[in-house]
Amino acid sequence: MGDPTGEPGSSMHGVTGREQSFAFSVASPIVHTDKTAKFDLPVDTEHKATVFKLFSFSKPHMRTFHLSWISFSTCFVSTFAAAPLVPIIRENLNLTKQDIGNAGVASVSGSIFSRLVMGAVCDLLGPRYGCAFLVMLSAPTVFSMSFVSGAAGFITVRFMIGFCLATFVSCQYWMSTMFNSQIIGLVNGTAAGWGNMGGGITQLLMPVVYEIIRRAGASAFTAWRIAFFVPGWLHIIMGILVLTLGQDLPDGNRAALEKAGEVAKDKFGKIMWYAVTNYRTWIFVLLYGYSMGVELSTDNVIAEYFFDRFHLKLHTAGLIAACFGMANFFARPAGGWASDFSAKYFGMRGRLWTLWIIQTAGGLFCVWLGRANTLVTAVVAMVLFSLGAQAACGATFAIVPFVSRRALGIISGLTGAGGNFGSGLTQLLFFSTNQFTTEEGLTWMGVMIVGCTLPVAFIHFPQWGSMFLPPSKDPVKSTEEHYYASEWTEQEKQKNMHQGSLRFAENAKSEGGRRVRSAATPPDSTPNNV
Amino acid sequence: MAIQKILFASLLICSLIQSSHGAEKERLFSELEKGSLEVTTKPSREGAGVVLDAGIDKISITWKLSSTGSKKEAEFKTIKVKLCYAPPSQVDRPWRKTHDELFKDKTCPHKIVARPYDKTTQSIDWILERDIPTGTYFVRAYAVDEHDHEVAFGQSTNEAKTTSLFSVQAISGRHKSLDIASVCFSVFSVLALLVFFVNEKRKAKIEQSK
Repeated sequence: MGDPTGEPGSSMHGVTGREQSFAFSVASPIVHTDKTAKFDLPVDTEHKATVFKLFSFSKPHMRTFHLSWISFSTCFVSTFAAAPLVPIIRENLNLTKQDIGNAGVASVSGSIFSRLVMGAVCDLLGPRYGCAFLVMLSAPTVFSMSFVSGAAGFITVRFMIGFCLATFVSCQYWMSTMFNSQIIGLVNGTAAGWGNMGGGITQLLMPVVYEIIRRAGASAFTAWRIAFFVPGWLHIIMGILVLTLGQDLPDGNRAALEKAGEVAKDKFGKIMWYAVTNYRTWIFVLLYGYSMGVELSTDNVIAEYFFDRFHLKLHTAGLIAACFGMANFFARPAGGWASDFSAKYFGMRGRLWTLWIIQTAGGLFCVWLGRANTLVTAVVAMVLFSLGAQAACGATFAIVPFVSRRALGIISGLTGAGGNFGSGLTQLLFFSTNQFTTEEGLTWMGVMIVGCTLPVAFIHFPQWGSMFLPPSKDPVKSTEEHYYASEWTEQEKQKNMHQGSLRFAENAKSEGGRRVRSAATPPDSTPNNV
Repeated sequence: MAIQKILFASLLICSLIQSSHGAEKERLFSELEKGSLEVTTKPSREGAGVVLDAGIDKISITWKLSSTGSKKEAEFKTIKVKLCYAPPSQVDRPWRKTHDELFKDKTCPHKIVARPYDKTTQSIDWILERDIPTGTYFVRAYAVDEHDHEVAFGQSTNEAKTTSLFSVQAISGRHKSLDIASVCFSVFSVLALLVFFVNEKRKAKIEQSK
């Protein structure tokens, strides 16, 4: 969990959504509050906050939260800044539909790699520098929009700007150094959701900035270039704020990271193996490509769609498009909450059904959006689609922590990469060619969402069952311990390397559903360790 | 929160709908009277392969009632002259597509001038505006009645839109001052980062050596 010793994959711990409870504070008596520590918030023995006070800026915990989600959001703003301005840019640069589509694909492709690298960067430099480095080194890519004069330049610059979406990793890593594991689910879910909102904010911000610059006297083809200075400055400002106001750990900066690990370091190759050979990993990679992926694709095409199809002004189209991305404010956490709620009564089966229902509903609303012929129905369909897709993102990461304990970081990373990959794929298939009009593309994208969500039915846990099948009847295989311990070899078990997994297995028993919960554990005991 | 957003969106949409279209929905281009107006264009620079510069070059446009006359002449109230995309500029660009429904048609988005209908020959010397994109164009004049509905038109090219076309090169939109500002801010960003980094490393070393 943001392990300072740099355990491989640890930088992605805490990326996941809901753990047992959707809690604003740690209720367990097992987590000892350190009363000698002088922080504004109550902290545990590692000085991580045990309470999440949303509207506070107290140093260092809540300050870190706000610095973190705002920098992540800024990167979303700049990655999707071109999208609402495409009606102007396409005329300036003489772009074809293919060029616009390819630029959209490029904008989400870069971060597939940068997110994977970012974990290592955070392990090496710490999350504060990881974030600051990325944000400040990608500022030049945003400013270089002023040099672009054709399709090739446009696609290249959008590709380079897209790298900064790796702040997702630094954001989640940084949260996990500052917040106790019991509330890290909510904290990270909120940070991720609010960060994604940047994709909505930009749809409103850029047309307004463009309009102001136009009215100040610039010609259209110059105004949009000047408009890009705004996200560029945001990068610089956030980078400086992160460097001056942020700190890596509750007690200060990296000094503590030099200490020797208490836990034996795990081998990257082994973790990778367990991640890759678990078939559930790949189902989630696919699923996330059709919740987060379609969200990113829609961020790229929706403003231009409303502008062209319904003959709206640029900032009106931007306002409507903004509603799509801004729904993340509550939709993503709500998806996680819905998953937790259904788990209370139906366990893991409930979580799987919740995910399937929400994501499929999103897909159906997307089909409706493509077929909507009037502005009002299109907006309603779009809003419902956004709720479905974004809640599905939250619901996905409510299940991912249970897929594996040992390889959690890598699986989370792969799932995240799957989101970007899905986005690139849908943009390539449906929005880059002349084969489909944009409304047809949206319709088919919706159909594809419904189709690609069906594999949820194949996710089976021997200890908890699946959507249709009951848990295994085998007395050994149907235990949580067996599932999580099976990721360790006998030699490793002899060295007791699997203790963390066993503790997790104990706490995960509540995924058996209501019967298991009421029989086994008292309702208000919270998990000790995740 | 969800309800608030939906309500706000629908309020906005409803108010937009009030201000938009009326009965124009079913009016078709193919129903307009063709060739009622004779339109000719003369770019300021002519010749094979000449590309006009937006913001600099001019086009001299003249229009008058065609020699064959028009059955609908009595309805002509205003003449709207527009700059239109020729087929080569519409390829791979669905936002410039020609549709038969007039309200959907995107062939002629750039307004040149609108003048009250006059039986005499009208002309204008029009400077290509700075937001005209690169492309191949012709000019079309719509005759509009008192309800602001198109009734007839004439264009400077033939029906297949292959003759008398002219090419325009858009302004780049780039400026030296913009380029310089861009470089300055980029350098500042990288330098600031390095300065911070080096500084903190130095402080950490000093602390360690204490």
